[in-house]
Amino acid sequence: MTRPRALIAAAGFVLCMLVPLVITQDYQLNVLFRVFLFAGLGLAWNLVGGYAGQLSLGHAAFFGIGGYGLALFHGKLGVPIWGALALGVVAAVLAALVIGQVAFRLRGPYFALSTIAFAEVLRLSAKNLTSITGGDVGYQAPALFDDSPSRWFYWSAVVLTAAAFAVTALAARSRFGFWLQAIREDEDTAMAVGINPARTKLRALLISAALTAVGGGLYASLFLFIVPDQMLAIDISNEIAIVAMLGGAGTLTGPIVGAALLETASEVFKNLFHEAHLLIYGVLIVVVVMFLPEGIVGALTTWWRRRNR
Amino acid sequence: MEVMLWSAVQAVLNGILTGSLYALVGMGMALIFGVMRIVNFAHGAFMMLGMYATYVLFDRAHVSPYLGFLVAAAMLFATGYLTYEGLLRRVVERSDFMQILLTLGISLILTDGVQLIFGADYHQINIPLLDVNVRLNQHVSLNAPWLVSFGITVIVATAMFWFVMKSRLGRALRAISQNRYAASLMGIDVMRIQALSFGMGLAAVGVAGGLLLPVFYLYPGAGDQFTLKAFVMVVLGGMGSIGGAAIAGVVLGVVESLTSLYWGNEWAVVVDFLLFLAVLSLRPSGLFGSQRV
Amino acid sequence: MPHLTIGPVGPRAPGLRERRRLSRHASGKMPRVIRPSPAFGAALLALVAGVACKADGTSAQGGGGATFRIGVVTSLTGSAAAFGQAHKNGYAVALAELNAKGGALGRPIELVYYDDQSKPDQAVQGVAKLVDQDHVPLILGAFSSETTRAMLPAVTAKKVPLIMPTATADNVMETGSPWVFRICAGATGYATSTIDFLQHNGAPKTIALIYENTNFGQAAAKAMAVQAAAAGITVVDDEAYQANSPDYKALLQRVAAKQPEAVYFASYLLDATTLLRQAEQIGLNPTFYTSAGTGFAAAEFPTEKGAGKYAEYTYSASQWTPTAKWAGSQEFDAAFTKLTGSHPAFHAMEAYATLVTAAAAINLGKAETAAGIADAIRKVKLDTPFGPVAFDAKGQNAHPLLVTQVQGGQYKVVWPPEQAEAKPIPTPAWADRK
Repeated sequence: MTRPRALIAAAGFVLCMLVPLVITQDYQLNVLFRVFLFAGLGLAWNLVGGYAGQLSLGHAAFFGIGGYGLALFHGKLGVPIWGALALGVVAAVLAALVIGQVAFRLRGPYFALSTIAFAEVLRLSAKNLTSITGGDVGYQAPALFDDSPSRWFYWSAVVLTAAAFAVTALAARSRFGFWLQAIREDEDTAMAVGINPARTKLRALLISAALTAVGGGLYASLFLFIVPDQMLAIDISNEIAIVAMLGGAGTLTGPIVGAALLETASEVFKNLFHEAHLLIYGVLIVVVVMFLPEGIVGALTTWWRRRNR
Repeated sequence: MEVMLWSAVQAVLNGILTGSLYALVGMGMALIFGVMRIVNFAHGAFMMLGMYATYVLFDRAHVSPYLGFLVAAAMLFATGYLTYEGLLRRVVERSDFMQILLTLGISLILTDGVQLIFGADYHQINIPLLDVNVRLNQHVSLNAPWLVSFGITVIVATAMFWFVMKSRLGRALRAISQNRYAASLMGIDVMRIQALSFGMGLAAVGVAGGLLLPVFYLYPGAGDQFTLKAFVMVVLGGMGSIGGAAIAGVVLGVVESLTSLYWGNEWAVVVDFLLFLAVLSLRPSGLFGSQRV
Repeated sequence: MPHLTIGPVGPRAPGLRERRRLSRHASGKMPRVIRPSPAFGAALLALVAGVACKADGTSAQGGGGATFRIGVVTSLTGSAAAFGQAHKNGYAVALAELNAKGGALGRPIELVYYDDQSKPDQAVQGVAKLVDQDHVPLILGAFSSETTRAMLPAVTAKKVPLIMPTATADNVMETGSPWVFRICAGATGYATSTIDFLQHNGAPKTIALIYENTNFGQAAAKAMAVQAAAAGITVVDDEAYQANSPDYKALLQRVAAKQPEAVYFASYLLDATTLLRQAEQIGLNPTFYTSAGTGFAAAEFPTEKGAGKYAEYTYSASQWTPTAKWAGSQEFDAAFTKLTGSHPAFHAMEAYATLVTAAAAINLGKAETAAGIADAIRKVKLDTPFGPVAFDAKGQNAHPLLVTQVQGGQYKVVWPPEQAEAKPIPTPAWADRK
């Protein structure tokens, strides 16, 4: 990434960290937390979905493992809170290893469907194995932050986004990033050129899973109480993917833009349209897909380039 | 011991009957996803539309759902055609991403829209046939509406199969699925035929919805569980194979029923997905598929 | 240090195209002009917009406005939407009555709704919005046990009282929070009243549990398992099912094989209908079909819109029926039917009673602040069409449950004896019913 852009990014980061000095209401901080959480999750997804071109609709699996890892390692095994979060991340990475072995042998929509299947098996198992997870009755998650948690969660989410952003920026310009994009463009040719698609894709998934699991741990700790339909739902997988795709998959800033717009739009629609808000949300998605197929950032970049030609 | 055997027989028979409804949904998806490669995440939402159409006919005009399903099928055919022409057409050439996004958006619109119009309340219909049970022997009995829908499914499935295999339109469709560009070079109007096929796929789903209505119930989210099942069936049966999807539907029904009997109902859907993953890893072309994944 | 310029560099400033050409020729060096990348611009803009949007959210009038605002979290969309609407309608009936009598402390009551979309995380968001932006001193809601349970840490941290109308799981009352009140009876209540009835009417020795695999179902079944064991009844089968499935026949086969004397359901209306219809097909004939209310106590359940004749003879531990002997029940039934065109289920009554109790607490305790209202609620005692309301030290209202049986297509209260309006009729086998 070029130096001026890095400076702008750093400035943006500092600005975002300063926000809680101005905005102090829990409600607003929670909405902003959601924005940055999904920005971070979207960026993590972007590695696999955008750069590698593997449409994963099962990222809720890693999200949920992170959250349940935090809750269960601490609650059942007595591991200290931050240690439990780390173990949750490890568990998610292990799950990614398993899932990747099976799923990456598949292409296109098959890959997507297999990721959905994995996530759903996890969710339903969590619901059914009540003695381990508490089932739908739920399980308590420990508090990562005791004092004024809203601010700390917001900061954590910003840090997560910054970390995911940095990882993506580094990867994008590295050989690894080129391999990913080569695989996205044409996997067979990439193989012919000497790239190992299985290993490359798996590496991307491991990184993606780790970041997503951190997000899941944060989310679980914010609510202090988790159920499978909250942590492992297909809605979460969809939301992560939508945020990245609408913002612009395969771009560096796409997921951030997507998260900012979609999360705030969702909240605004709810207050504005009441029962009809999902309808409006659906219309928004359809409109963006029809008219901005490269996502918002993609469209902006194309427009800018065309303007400057 | 004998009772246990008959228990299993009962479960298998019930599974076949339930599976026949799944099969219709699966065949619709086989046309849309298997043949046309359109990733349709609004499949279940369209099925729900078919259920509502059948319900309205029953409620307002007292038309039996066993006739009403024809109207639902026709309505969904038209809806499918128009949706394809209006929305999907432009996205079909592009990535799977966008198809999924678009159909997800459509699904949201349909579900919330139906809720706004009809309310979130559940609806149920009661027809006399529901009380009729065909008793095969002391241990096994089958519920009449399920038998009727099985019969209708067989007829519709055969018709669809014949259509795709024997008719000119069906041949054109198969040509498109093998190689779209070559097909267009042969003078086939690809876009129009795809629109017609999308309509047909949804019509099959409409029939399933109409047949499901008497034995199930109606609410805006009624179709949601069937979308994923439809994909599972298409993959199990093999891409491009409509007959395969139908058989996969029956297999799913039986597997779910036996899982419920021996393990527990809450695991039935899990087993569906595990079976799905197993097939994807071990035999990705599906049971009857001939295409490379 | 490289010369960075933005904008005109001299008398004849090169146009944008020339500048680009210039910078491209300066190979390896930094471009002479910084062009803010559109993507970054977009990202920053979006963030600023988002922040600005939130920063001037609806400014609240607080407690000193012309109306008395009470927050309501319920499921207006999502899987529980039908029940959220029932809540809304129940609140509406109560609101009309209360405001006709002067409202709260002389001001008309205004309900501020937040739709939790049947999702727990949205319910928590609702608490934050209602308290931080709308400054309500009291929240009512949510509908389901999971959405309600999620709200508890938030209301406790924000020190705002919450009255729960319909969440029956036991864990919502187990956090020990002093800000939490529940007006309805919980899962354990369902179990004890059912067992109480059974012990006095045939005392079956075995029971099978059939319940949906959700918070409500799992909690109800767990409570019944505990209470049955304590009463010496053996649980011979424990069947969780995936709600909204079209086919439960295999599950019912398993239960039938164990030949339980009693079956205890925890189901919503639609599954209740499917289960009973298919129980007839399978030939499951326990001596008692009992249930943890909900679907088996719904207004439509014994009618053609529900299970119809399959509902006959089923028992249900019910929070309320329109024919309950508490004063005002039938008036509520009439008012609700007038407003919505259909009869109220007990969920609507629970919402009604919750708002009525809240207003009574506010008026009697002359309370306007969150802490004051919490104290007032703890002390309030009143009679409502939902029965007597009084909260114990933990915040639970000791709501007496009725056991009803469907007789001739109607719910008849058969237990406890003081409230009974009919005697229980023994359940005939399916094959013996006309």
